[in-house]
Amino acid sequence: MTRFSRRLFNTALGTTIATGGLSTSILGAWTTPARAQSGTAASVVTVATIGEPPTLDPVGTTSDLVSIITQHMFETLFTFDGDWKLAPLVASALPQVSADGKTYTIPLRGGVTFHDGSTVTVDDVVASLDHWTKASPRGKTVAPLVESIAAKGADSVVVALKEPFAPLTALLAMNNGAAAIVPKSVIDGPGALKSLIGTGPYKLLEHKPDQYIRLVRHDGYASPAGAPSGYAGSRKATIGEVRFVPVPNAATRVSGVLAGQYQFADSLPAETLPRIKDAAGVKPVIVKPFGFPLMIMNTKTGVMANPKLRQAVLAALDPGDMLLAGLGDPAFVAAEGSIYAPGTPYYDAASAKPYADHAPGKAAELLKAAGYKGEPIRIMTSVQYEFLYKMSMVAQAQLELAGFKVDLQVLDWATLLQRRGDEKAWDAFFTYHTFVPEPSLITVLNPSYPGWWDSPAKREALAAFNREMDPAARKTKWVALQTLFYSEVPSVKVGEFYNLAAASDKLTGYTPTPWPFFWNTSLKS
Amino acid sequence: MLVYIVRRFAGMMIVMLLVAMVVFVIARVVPGDPAAVMLGSSATPADVAALRGRLGLDEPLLTQFLLYLGQILRFDLGESIFLNRPVTQALAERSELTALLTAMSVGIAMLIGVPIGILSAAKRGRLIDQTALGLAMLAASVPSFWIGLTLIKYLAVDHSWFPVAGYGPPDASLGERLRHLLLPAIALGIPNSALILRFTRTSMLDVLSHDYVRTARAKGLPPLVVVLKHALRNAMIPILTVIGLTTAVMIAGAIVTETVFGLPGVGNLIVSAVLRRDYPVIQGALLVVSAIYVLINLTVDLLYAVVDPRVRY
Repeated sequence: MTRFSRRLFNTALGTTIATGGLSTSILGAWTTPARAQSGTAASVVTVATIGEPPTLDPVGTTSDLVSIITQHMFETLFTFDGDWKLAPLVASALPQVSADGKTYTIPLRGGVTFHDGSTVTVDDVVASLDHWTKASPRGKTVAPLVESIAAKGADSVVVALKEPFAPLTALLAMNNGAAAIVPKSVIDGPGALKSLIGTGPYKLLEHKPDQYIRLVRHDGYASPAGAPSGYAGSRKATIGEVRFVPVPNAATRVSGVLAGQYQFADSLPAETLPRIKDAAGVKPVIVKPFGFPLMIMNTKTGVMANPKLRQAVLAALDPGDMLLAGLGDPAFVAAEGSIYAPGTPYYDAASAKPYADHAPGKAAELLKAAGYKGEPIRIMTSVQYEFLYKMSMVAQAQLELAGFKVDLQVLDWATLLQRRGDEKAWDAFFTYHTFVPEPSLITVLNPSYPGWWDSPAKREALAAFNREMDPAARKTKWVALQTLFYSEVPSVKVGEFYNLAAASDKLTGYTPTPWPFFWNTSLKS
Repeated sequence: MLVYIVRRFAGMMIVMLLVAMVVFVIARVVPGDPAAVMLGSSATPADVAALRGRLGLDEPLLTQFLLYLGQILRFDLGESIFLNRPVTQALAERSELTALLTAMSVGIAMLIGVPIGILSAAKRGRLIDQTALGLAMLAASVPSFWIGLTLIKYLAVDHSWFPVAGYGPPDASLGERLRHLLLPAIALGIPNSALILRFTRTSMLDVLSHDYVRTARAKGLPPLVVVLKHALRNAMIPILTVIGLTTAVMIAGAIVTETVFGLPGVGNLIVSAVLRRDYPVIQGALLVVSAIYVLINLTVDLLYAVVDPRVRY
């Protein structure tokens, strides 16, 4: 027993010392206020994001989360201003387009430096654009049209096309699937970049997956000129460090920004708006336009390949009910059928009129005309995007009311992404589309995108739109395309939805955008 | 003892091999594609197929399995598809947090469960016993995420006494890190303390009814000495078992708590890997967690001999 007692004593002593050590450490840490603990010193802005990005290479993915972070590090030749018009960024001006629309001459801005201190050369730009056509989902759509990409002197690049393609400048301006300008030396075939070196106002300091991504000011940054407007104009990195922290739990993002641990929290549940409004030191940020939920239908295989059946779906659904069920608060939705929201250049209400014609009787007639025999409509949805799941539940009820037989398949997002590639596995699925300034970037228009909308009329309308260089004529051709969207119904646009974020009162100069950025912002002490 | 340990290790190797096979099959049977997740929702099937080729995911399953077995035999868990680093490195980066969180929450669970369990047994049927049992029932019934959210609301948001989430800034000291772990450890420790409390009470009640305890009392020994010195040691085996099991479960079972508190631990890594279908991380992490589980069980079995001299191997 003596032996045991001694051992017990030693254990107790060890435990006491260990506990004492821990207590001292914890109490020592306690002496500093909680807010300073979180690394939110005056020069650091901590941004809570919805999760860990799959990569920090902005070229190979169209993930919004990736572009929110990487747009601080990488820049493209062009960007968008506050009115979603094109503006130069690494280029010194918008491209000069030849009369036949096939040759784009892009002048480069002088004195732009990479994060490693080297100056951007015309060879870097040519290599970057070439890489984009091989590695980016957006660049690959352009690649078949590209005749050549070549330097013209030391300060211009010429992109020669096989046929006119008006969206090229907009595609070169996108910050995801981005035509990022990087040193030629970091390009390694069509794979990921060898190192993450760009020309942006911030450079990567440290990336600890699932913990943080630290971007620090690029002291040699050469800003474009002009007053700041949207993503365009001068960029000033006032804040020393922007730290992106993945916080997948939305409630934790809300609590963190309310407690002052984060200066900005993205994608918050709509129902937390009153809490954020009432809190001291924090303000809500509602981002308009932000995105639109879509019910994409399989136009290639299965029952939904019948356009009459798709028209019946459109008539059967009441988008207003779906929006309210999905988002809860009318402040965050708009029952808007135009693919582009009011206030944007491509807005057109007249051609979107069928959107509002909710008529179960008409749906029943169309079902009869389509020869529908009660085949189950397999609709894929995911609880990982709760608002989509709720919308799909309402859609199921409304479709069944109109006479459809619905097989709602609730999957996790990764499974849905995989299964939608198999044209025989589904008839419709729910997803959402973030606002894109250029219509040709809308995924539904891509004939390779699941849904495979590729009728001869659509092909012709899209080609005419893509050939047209004149902005006013482009709008007319877009309206024709939207009219076709509502007659062939490849998808149902459920409406507009807005994003709720929250920012500390101390964060000034912030501009609400779909992809939040933190240059030109500062922190009040 | 040495023969016993060697025998157990040999058995452990077989268990690990079986775990490796089962995990590989389950990871592949579940639908979903890491390439599709990586490329984002705008990617076309052709883009996804191209990336699958680059990642080697288009190889036949048997080829993939044989490559995986070969890696394991070289103690190599492979390379994460998403994290762009070896799985062992990803696990090592998260092990500090998980080890500290497990130690703290087990410590809290023991500090609550063992003394109250002893007291409850010693005062069987009295108000204190009834209260302890009621509280234990309550603690076991309340999910840890609710405790976590409540702690965040009152102690972090309303009073700023604790950080809401995360593991501290990059340059955080050990003290700061521990402070970030205190609320999650409490949230995780409280439900587990209920289990320890009930096991301690039951075990103590059993031992306290033995003749030698009655004899000790009859000899006039103080009640505290009888309970703590004579009864507790013999009651320790079931308590150790449950503490061991609780520890093992917490290593990967703190998933919800880690999510609520935004902690980049092993549990969070496994959840993220499953959502992204990061097969090497799923396989590697589950293999390591299983190994730890088996090792903890072995340690508990060896501790029986330390606590109870009658146990011989």
